[in-house]
Formats: sequence, C-alpha cells, structure tokens
Amino acid sequence: MKDKFIAFIEARFPIKALAAHIRKPLPKHINLLFSLGSMVMFLLLLQAITGAFLAFYYSPSPDHAYDSVNFISKEVTFGAFVRGLHHWGASAMVIVTFLHLLRVVIYGSYKAPREITWVIGVLLLLVVLGFGFTGYLLPWDQKAYWATIVGVEISGTAPLVGKPIAKIIRGGEEVGAVTLTRFFALHTIWLPWIAFALVGLHLFLVRHLGSSGLPKNTQEEMQEGNPFYPHQVLEDMVGIAVLFVILAALSLFVPVHMEALADPTDATYDPRPEWYFMFLFQLLKYFQGPLEVVGTFVIPTLGISLLLLLPFLDRGERKSLRQRPVALSVTCLSVLLIVTLTILGVRSPKLEASAGEASAVKGSTAETISDGTAVFDFGLDFPKTEQSEEPTSTDTEVFDFGLE
Amino acid sequence: MAHAPEENIEQPKRRSFLSVAIALIGGLISIAMGVPLIGFAISPALKKTGQKWVDLGVVDLLKGSNYKPVKYTFQFKDGWVETTKKRSVYVTDKGNDEFVVFSRVCTHLNCFVRWNESDQQFLCPCHGGVFDKEGNVVAGPPPSPLQKLPAKVENGVLYVKES
Repeated sequence: MKDKFIAFIEARFPIKALAAHIRKPLPKHINLLFSLGSMVMFLLLLQAITGAFLAFYYSPSPDHAYDSVNFISKEVTFGAFVRGLHHWGASAMVIVTFLHLLRVVIYGSYKAPREITWVIGVLLLLVVLGFGFTGYLLPWDQKAYWATIVGVEISGTAPLVGKPIAKIIRGGEEVGAVTLTRFFALHTIWLPWIAFALVGLHLFLVRHLGSSGLPKNTQEEMQEGNPFYPHQVLEDMVGIAVLFVILAALSLFVPVHMEALADPTDATYDPRPEWYFMFLFQLLKYFQGPLEVVGTFVIPTLGISLLLLLPFLDRGERKSLRQRPVALSVTCLSVLLIVTLTILGVRSPKLEASAGEASAVKGSTAETISDGTAVFDFGLDFPKTEQSEEPTSTDTEVFDFGLE
Repeated sequence: MAHAPEENIEQPKRRSFLSVAIALIGGLISIAMGVPLIGFAISPALKKTGQKWVDLGVVDLLKGSNYKPVKYTFQFKDGWVETTKKRSVYVTDKGNDEFVVFSRVCTHLNCFVRWNESDQQFLCPCHGGVFDKEGNVVAGPPPSPLQKLPAKVENGVLYVKES
C-alpha cells in the first residue's frame, strides 16, 4: 500500500530525485560555522512570519503608526513577544549574516567557481541592511524620525544624483506621510520579494556547485562527509534552536525600547542610528567641510565595491586565511575598524540641551498666516493632562502621546 | 523527425527572427509599463514646493530676543494629509524691527543644532558640527554655513520665509 502510494506520487512528482538530492554527502570536516547560512535562512523566515503578523495591526501613517505599534506592544495578546522577536531578530540577522560572510572569507569559499554565489550573498547583505533602515522608521518615534532624516540625507550627498535621489526616497522635501508609506512598501513588499528571489538563486547555486568545504579538504574528501539530510540539517537545527532561545529570552525579558513620538521641533533630542549603523555614524564625524562626501559616499561605495569584487581581486589558489597575508590583513583591519567605530559611536557623549530651550516662546497661536488659513497650535508644551492617562489612549489626539 | 535535415537548414534564420520578435514584444510591454510606473514612483520628487511667508509671532513678544528658540506652526500638505507642520528657529532682535532668524537645520545631515550661550556657538548633536554666532562653520563636518532665513516685519508681526 505504502509502496503503491509512493509509486503513484513518484509518477507525478519526483520525490525520489529530491530525496537523493538532499541526502547528497557534504565534504568532510564540516564544522559549526557551516550552519551560519541556515541560521540566516531561519532568521529570514522568522522575520517574514513575525512581520506578516505585525502587519495585522500596524498602520503606516504618521497619525497612527506610533499608536498602532504601542497597541501591539501593550494591548495585543503576545504582542510584546511577537514584536520583540521581530526587533531582536533584526539585530540577530545583521550579526549572523556578518558572521556567515566572515566564514566565507576565512575559508576562501568565494573563490572560483563560486564568485556569483558570493556576489548574490553581498547583495543579500545590502538587502538585510535595507530591511533595517526601512524597518526602524516604521514605529515613528524620535529615533525613527531623526535617524531617517540623517540616513536619507547621506544619500543626498552623492555627487550629481544625490539630491534627486534623496527626494525620491523621501517622496518629497521632508520626511513625512509619503516617506512612511514608501518605507512600509519597501520593507514589507519590495525587499521581501527581492530577498527571497536572491536567496533562491543563492541556495540553487550552493546546491548546484556543492558546499565549498574547507581549504584543507582533498578532492576525495569533498564527497565523503555526512549527508546534508539528516546529519547537517540536525546540526543546523541545534544552532537555530540556540539562536531562537536567545531571541525568545530577549523578547520576554527585554522590552523593545520605544522613544517618544516623532517631533520635528524637539531640539533636545540627540539623533542616533540603530547600533548596526553606528560605525557609519561615527565615520561621518572625521570628514569635515568639503571632505564630507568622503565619509558619506566615497568610503561606503568603495567598501561595497570591494566586497562585490573580492572574488575577482583575490584569485589565488584556495587556501585558509592564515596563508593569505593580504586577505588576512584587509579582513582583520576591516573588522577591527568596524568594531572600533561602533564602540566609539555608541560611547560618544551626547550634547547637553541648551538652557534657553525651556523658555521657547510659541510663535503663531491661532493667528492668521500669509495664506490666510488659521493655525491651531497643538502645543508641544502643554502640561500633562488627565487625558493622556486614560487607558483608551489609542484614540486620543496624536500630539498627546509625546507627553506620556 | 523525418523533416529534420530540412529544418536544420531553415532554423537558424527563423530562430533568430523568433528571438527578435520575442524580445521586441517583451521590450515594448516593459517600456509601456516601466515609464508610467517610474513616473508613478518618483512623482512626489517632481513636484515643486513653493516658499511662503509664515508668521513667527507678534514682534512685541520677540523684543530683545537673543538667539531665542522659537517654535512655530503652519499648515502644510504632506502627501494627502493636510497637516500642521512644526518648526523651530533661533531669533535675534537687532533693534528697529530687524530680526535675524537662523534655521536650526544643520547643513551636514539635517540634525537640529542648539545654541550654546556660554560659548556663543551653535552645536550639532549628531556628528559634532559647530557654527559661530554668525552661522559660519567653526568645526566638524558641515560643508556650508547655517542658513539665515529671510525675515520681515509687517504690522507688528515677524514673518519668515518658509521653504
């Protein structure tokens, strides 16, 4: 009966060929570092699934985004946990993707014939950073707002096309409603499609060309290791489980930090990016005046180009990193530089708010302005009212939320 | 298969014709879709935004201001949302109804600068830009001086030109 059923399916769907495919033996000596790719894949699925659920409640508009995110965290059942997984998962994604890239560099796995696999991988790293950048605008809190202003302005410093590109990204002169819907569309539709297409190609090539193995693997050893399924998959699953336990613990015990509602006039706020862009933030401080473009455009462009072209620049025979002095020093220097800049950026002191700030006078309070329309000041300096303590806060005036 | 030899002679020509036809149809559809879609996506960037005068408040209230941070609001259409835009500037009273209004937007990457009274300088909280009391760059990455907004007094009200 069972055989008959399998035969029935086999005639219509090539399960035996697929089974043989996933049982193909891997090279010998494969270690835990080879599970990093699967861990990235797991994180991508985790982000896709938690993100799809978050979209049930999230509202991409400046009037509602902040409240809807707070609603998820405070009122939706398991809301804080789901949002926590998505939040911490994003950071994990950057870390694990970076480690996966380092593994590939250390073992020289990007060398012929895997150059295209590498290039697609670098594009995926950029997609991951794109997810991060478009993602943290969505809660529309102070960090989101100011980091996005700076981030988009960075693209604006590119020669010639910079200004129009910044305007296109923002959807206008300033970060606002149009920017938010754009970032939402990029984050939830464009980037996921691009990511899954690239991951599909990346995985296809990994299976087609076979695992790169280790530099010390002999030709014979390439086919003598454990099969991918179930041995390697089990190892991957252990790594994934450890990762998941860490993320779940963070989501349960460390609430996702939510700053005050985005406020374009709040001058007491010190804009800082998410930690994984901190090295870039710090880098910008060193290039002054006319050299500004070096920090904002030249170095990032050179860095990405170097990554993309790496397999075409380092074309020597495959050896472990220890035997490749140039690649070794460039890699160590880059990692050291990124880590140092990140630490410096995180620890850089914040500015004291200037003394006159509190006494700021309100300009036009319900006075007539040039185009004849009356303006009602919603009053950032309103004293805290009872209204903001009401539990049904999601329906109250948006400006009240900055006061909570 | 009986016709194979005959087809082999004809095929290269016909095949290249077919390929060209496929590419042509695909290309035309792509252009017909691509042009409107690109226009659709970049549309907000093509729109011109005019400058207008916005009032900062009654001059009497601003008399004697010395790098005073002033918040003001004005109506603005943000995409489809008619919204109240909030801004903040530094106002200095030069006497005789003349005011100097500094934009607070750092010329580096648009963070908000703060006036430091003791040092008589504007400081940027992001990448360490410093401007002197005239708005000139003293230190840090900013490529150009802090912007002075055009200001005028009419009927006892200070107006500033808002971009």
